[in-house]
Amino acid sequence: MMHTFNRRRFLQLAGMASAISVLPRAFGAAPPARVVVVGGGFGGATVAKYLRMWGGDKVAVTLVDPNPSHIACILSNLVVTGALSMDRITLGYSALEKRGVKVQKGRVMAINYGSGTVSLSDGTALAYDHLVLSPGIDFIPPPEGPWDPNVTPHAWQAGPQTLLLKQQLASMRDRDTFVMTVPKSPYRCPPGPYERACVVADYLKRKKLIFAKVVVLDANPSIQAEPLAFTEAFNFIYKGMIEYVPNATVLAVNSQTRSIQTSAGDWSNVRALNYIPNQRAAAVGPSSSLNRGWPVLNAQGFVPVDPLTYGISGYPNVHVIGDACAVPASEGKAVPKSGHMANAEAKICADAILRSLNGESPDKNITTNSACFSPITSTTASWLSANFNYGDIYDGVGKLKGKGMHRVDLGEAPRTNGDNYQDMFTWAEGLFADSFA
Amino acid sequence: MSLKTISPRFLIPVGLALAASQGAQAAPPAGQVLASQCAQCHGTNGNGPGFDEVAGKSASELQKDLLEMKRRPVEGIMDRQARGYTDAQIKLIADYLAAHSGSGHDN
Repeated sequence: MMHTFNRRRFLQLAGMASAISVLPRAFGAAPPARVVVVGGGFGGATVAKYLRMWGGDKVAVTLVDPNPSHIACILSNLVVTGALSMDRITLGYSALEKRGVKVQKGRVMAINYGSGTVSLSDGTALAYDHLVLSPGIDFIPPPEGPWDPNVTPHAWQAGPQTLLLKQQLASMRDRDTFVMTVPKSPYRCPPGPYERACVVADYLKRKKLIFAKVVVLDANPSIQAEPLAFTEAFNFIYKGMIEYVPNATVLAVNSQTRSIQTSAGDWSNVRALNYIPNQRAAAVGPSSSLNRGWPVLNAQGFVPVDPLTYGISGYPNVHVIGDACAVPASEGKAVPKSGHMANAEAKICADAILRSLNGESPDKNITTNSACFSPITSTTASWLSANFNYGDIYDGVGKLKGKGMHRVDLGEAPRTNGDNYQDMFTWAEGLFADSFA
Repeated sequence: MSLKTISPRFLIPVGLALAASQGAQAAPPAGQVLASQCAQCHGTNGNGPGFDEVAGKSASELQKDLLEMKRRPVEGIMDRQARGYTDAQIKLIADYLAAHSGSGHDN
């Protein structure tokens, strides 16, 4: 640890702690503030990078992740179809290390918010002045099983799951059925499941399996993102091949027999069952602990945060970004869970932490955005754009309900085309580099 | 944007703002966190990789381009993204990116 306070000195000062804590840290040669970042996906990598880039030696940043590199969900549907290799979506941490980020391989077992320490599976305890949690999602098991994602993959966390689904898609023969689910909102990457249905159907078409079918069981009443592009794709491009079933609440999943029961019908013994379960914030403590290790969770299982700092109410030095957090927003205009948005939130969070260390208030002139490209066929794509500005937010009938990130613009591509398909790779390259390089 | 909406801090020359940022206590340069939201697609500080229409442009060119995209009918994704910012935010972003992109460095 770079901290110069030893334990005895700390105890001597402990009585003064409440007075000291309100002073800015940046006076003279203060030791660097210790920031621990949990989770090395788009949110965690970006916050670590920008803390070092903007904060320099004022911050000692440790990034904790169990894996040696991050495998991006972005573009992973194209790994499922064989269009891209895993290398294209595997993102290492060496550039972050060159920026002075300490990358610590490990799994978080528990967080002691009182003493400000993170305990790892190997027994290491990391002390923090600020903690940024970006752990992503966990899956909520179906009401009834037996469910085993190693038999029926979700492929909603990229890696071995992606390759397992690729293998199962490759085993499809004519007249076989590929059944997939769309989780109840909010879930990671709103357009992602519909995109997957399209590229899977495109794959089957190109393999001349023209009597194979893709069944999309949506837990929601309608398509959750890019409704124009996906309605056109389901009704025209893949007419007769993709069957879209809304309001399909999953009741039971049997991975062994590849069968699923829903409120909109049952499908049994299908060739590939791509059950993507409902989601919640990933645990940061033992599953037996209160709130799975979180100080607070909302009814949907995500962590409510302050939109200016991504701090948890009552825990001003604990921040949550990315898919795990719930940002206050206007009704029906939720902030989407995506890698691009996690990157956006990470920069707001990094800026707020550095201002706090300087004794300043958080900036209120802040925006976040999400932009993404979705392949519709093997040569065409669509895009989705959403912008959020800090300010007043409203309930369902337009009544002011407080402050948050208000969605000021939303829209999808006027048409799907080949230029968008090429732009998709430029977009991903930019996002990968801004987060990990 | 009417002159009445410009707050005095927009009138601080960028060079001065950058010089001030060298001090330990200085607030971040104006526009830094707003402009960081462009980096997902245009690279850190607009220096790529990604869509490369940022680096090398002057503040006035960037501002003019963004305002034009904001007001024309939507064709490309930037026509939507530009709609997400107030004219005052666009000015701050343009000033910041003009001062920080094109250097080949990202900080």
